[in-house]
Amino acid sequence: MTEELEQVRNIQKAFEQEFGRFADLSVDRIAVDDAEDLLREVGELKIRRMGKKSAIAGAMKLIGNVAPEERGNFGQFVQSVEKEIAAKIEQIEASLNEVISKAKIERERLDVTIPGWRPRTGHLHLITILRQKIEDIFVSMGYAIEDDREIETDYYNFDALNIPEGHPARESQDTFYTTDGFALRSQTSTVQIRAMERRGVPIRILAPGRVYRRDTPDMTHTPMFHQLEGLCVDKGITMAHLKGTVTEWLKRLFGEDTVTRFRPSYFPFTEPSAEFDFSCFKCHGSGKFEGERCRPCKGSGWIELGGSGMVHPNVLKAVGVDPVVYSGFAFGFGLERMCALMYSLDDIRLMFDNDVRFLEQFR
Amino acid sequence: MNISYNWLNDLIDIDLAPNELGEKLTNIGLAVEGIHAHGDDFVFDIDLTSNRPDCLSHLGVAREIGVISNKASAAETQRRGENGTVAPNSVVLTADIVKIEAADLCARFTARIIKNVKIATSPQWLARRLEAIGERSINNVADITNYVMHELGQPMHAFDLDKLNGKRIVVRRANAGETITTLDEIERNLDSSTLAICDTEKPIAVAGVMGGLDSSITDDTSNVLLEVAFFKRENIRATSRKLNLSTEASYRFERGVDVENLVRASNRATELICELAGGTADELIDVYPTNFKANNIRSNDISAAVKRLTGLDVSTAESIRVLTALGLTMKAESEISDIRSQIYVVPSWRHDLAIEEDLVEEVARHAGYENIASELPPAFGAGEYQATEIREKLLRQTLVVMGFDEALSFSFIDKKFDGLFETAPGLIDENTADKYVTLQDSVVEGAVRMRPSLLPGLLDAVRLNFNHQRRDLRLFELGKVFAAKSSEDNLPNEQESFGMVITGSEIQENRAMPARQFDFYDAKGAVEAALDAAGATDAEFTATNVKHLRIGQSAAITVGGKAAGYVGRLSDEIAATYKFKQPVYLAEINLQLVLDGPVASSAYRPLAKYPSVVRDVSFIAHRKTAYADISGAILEQNYELCTNVMFVDIYEGKGLTGDERSITIRLEYRSDERTLVEDEVESLHRQIVEQIENKLDIKVRF
Repeated sequence: MTEELEQVRNIQKAFEQEFGRFADLSVDRIAVDDAEDLLREVGELKIRRMGKKSAIAGAMKLIGNVAPEERGNFGQFVQSVEKEIAAKIEQIEASLNEVISKAKIERERLDVTIPGWRPRTGHLHLITILRQKIEDIFVSMGYAIEDDREIETDYYNFDALNIPEGHPARESQDTFYTTDGFALRSQTSTVQIRAMERRGVPIRILAPGRVYRRDTPDMTHTPMFHQLEGLCVDKGITMAHLKGTVTEWLKRLFGEDTVTRFRPSYFPFTEPSAEFDFSCFKCHGSGKFEGERCRPCKGSGWIELGGSGMVHPNVLKAVGVDPVVYSGFAFGFGLERMCALMYSLDDIRLMFDNDVRFLEQFR
Repeated sequence: MNISYNWLNDLIDIDLAPNELGEKLTNIGLAVEGIHAHGDDFVFDIDLTSNRPDCLSHLGVAREIGVISNKASAAETQRRGENGTVAPNSVVLTADIVKIEAADLCARFTARIIKNVKIATSPQWLARRLEAIGERSINNVADITNYVMHELGQPMHAFDLDKLNGKRIVVRRANAGETITTLDEIERNLDSSTLAICDTEKPIAVAGVMGGLDSSITDDTSNVLLEVAFFKRENIRATSRKLNLSTEASYRFERGVDVENLVRASNRATELICELAGGTADELIDVYPTNFKANNIRSNDISAAVKRLTGLDVSTAESIRVLTALGLTMKAESEISDIRSQIYVVPSWRHDLAIEEDLVEEVARHAGYENIASELPPAFGAGEYQATEIREKLLRQTLVVMGFDEALSFSFIDKKFDGLFETAPGLIDENTADKYVTLQDSVVEGAVRMRPSLLPGLLDAVRLNFNHQRRDLRLFELGKVFAAKSSEDNLPNEQESFGMVITGSEIQENRAMPARQFDFYDAKGAVEAALDAAGATDAEFTATNVKHLRIGQSAAITVGGKAAGYVGRLSDEIAATYKFKQPVYLAEINLQLVLDGPVASSAYRPLAKYPSVVRDVSFIAHRKTAYADISGAILEQNYELCTNVMFVDIYEGKGLTGDERSITIRLEYRSDERTLVEDEVESLHRQIVEQIENKLDIKVRF
């Protein structure tokens, strides 16, 4: 058996001699290309030293030359040599493969800071965004959203709203007229009349829409702007309900800590009339923001927003509603002004320039 | 309006510090915009609403303070003038000196002649007081008229008597062609709409607005005629507007002064003139053809009315106290036994009180709006959006996700766009002579047309953005377009419209390189997506010539079989006027038509159980053969197993003649009952292809 063992040991030695360069290999600092070459060489070596025609594969045939009682030990020895060779090859293959796959992953590492494939999305107009927000609030409070004509008769724009002929608000100085003598509505209050004619009372509506005044465009004026007007007529409606309603929607828009202030004022279509202010959304009424004079409220802590009041009996009479039985409140304000305050816009004309650099700032 | 704290204190004892007073005044509706110190005085800047001309004076503000502090205001003459010669107060009617020819425009005119005055600078106290409220001192007599106006609210004018022809006054309408050079040294043309104060020859003042230069007080004046009058509000307003001249006087007259306050004001000024400029005053001439008639307001229960409209609890006694302090009186009526039921007589200085609700406001503002409760009205029906809002919202959202920015343009555009753009179907009423709605004038140069199309506004936006180096644009606008109508009332047609514009390339957020240049099909696709979102899934596109679009790149759009609008590339001619160098694609649609139409509903079809087989086929066809001809020819056969026809691409160029192009389509074959076998698909496909070849006279390429 000694001779056979010697043969196997020689096979082992021959392998180790050839494998020596791999055994000493330090894969840590090996380049990918070299690793790939080496892997290929190992593969060849593997076929030579482990394949069907390899010496070790042939070594098993020697078992016939060994005495029967020693065949068990010899077989185990051959197998252990074969296993050792296989293990060594496998180990180096694994190491090389790891080097290669690590390198490959490294090579395919992405720069995740590069912008994603994201088609540019557009933007709703600031006025639409705010209008939709406020409409949502009022619909949830039981109001119906209404709009109507923009070119109106004097009756709807003035008479029905208790603005008789000779009233300063009727002067064409403030109102656009068409050559046919129709008025571009100068306030969305026209919708009060149209809606009450259509729906009767009780009624709760919110009317957003375009209105027109003959103001030459400047930083704070545009000849066309958007108003939002609320109307609630029912039995037993008082100014307390007006205050409650205005306060509620402003709280929902600007937060629970919002408070409102009502001051006596004058509008032809309401009596009593009030202007309403709300605590500044930025400084929360303190008048200071980050130590500076707060910009939206000019340091007063209050934002003057709009007009309101109890619907004038003449307006109710104009739509056939008995002011002795019914009462109601109305309020209104300009959306552009509100946007200007909310975003500290210094020039309200930007709203109608359709400059994309402006439009894309809001969503 | 500026009001001096010290001056107020002369009229009424104020036990409030200036800032406290400011707050109180704001709370009752006299909005104090600011308080600033002036020497030992404080000046309040009060912003008054147009219905409260009675507060355009220290007396008026003092009256309100009287209600706050429950004190009566003292007569202004008690404070100074002990040395002055108070003119006799007898009233005569002297037609020889004053004649009112236009009584409809001048309800009352008083005049007083003060002789031998000495024009000089004002004493320091007077100049200071005027200075405090922002008025410039001129001379003693002019300053006094100004001073009394600010004290009592009554504008007045002093003439140099010796410069009046005939030494008399005629109040009449000006004659056309008459002119006057007013104190501001501007010559003004008058006409019969203007009320003029005249001497026997010519106008010497524009009534209620400004005096004439020729008859004004100079250093040499020794005899003065002091005019204190009441003019019709509307007339003064019209004149002020016509002359584009607003003065402290016209501001007060056009809002309404106190016709019963004229004598007091005249006396006060006379007293001061005599004191400060010497002179002796004649008797007052008072021409007052029709007496003042006070408004009466009946209220059965003012306290209950206040409660009903404001929710405030204010007792009858307190309500009456406020109203009385404001100058209202109660008419004694024998049949009334209930103290709650009253007839209130409105004082001559309050033009704004006419009905019980007006009295409610007076009581409520003095009770304090801050004391009104804050509560929501009782629950009511369900809220609702406008019927069209949900569809419009989806349309907007879809376009935004696709990359469109929402534009908002003015509704008025320039006339120069007339006839340049085909308007959306349904807008123009062909029975009207003048198709458009035109404004009498505009505040934006040239913009007198109510837009019949959204496109000019969108193209302006394109130009503006190009000027800011933004060349990849997708914009849309929803809004009304307008046209004249020949209906009964002739109220113009207002039609909801949807417009959009596309130009440049598709861009990726934060990436410099654009993905792809836009073409006609981007515009068409956006229109389809928008309509789809709005519930109209049956839009059809037909090649049509449209005047503002380039021939061969334009289509008419129908929705529900009705003409709805147009899409295509802006014509080279119009593009040239904007200096656009890149293609611009436009669409405008009658959105009203879409929103009035039905919403496409969803329906479920069982999912396919068996796989489908697809076959692509390319046809060589004349350019005139449209894709829709091919797809239509297949679909109209209703092949049971051919479930879908889709467009793949178009090829033209090498290998084809100039008139030819190759259209590749994809056919999908599927059965709901079994998996199709190859032979079966192949034979049907061949049959379909042959049918197309024969029907359209085109050839398969491969």
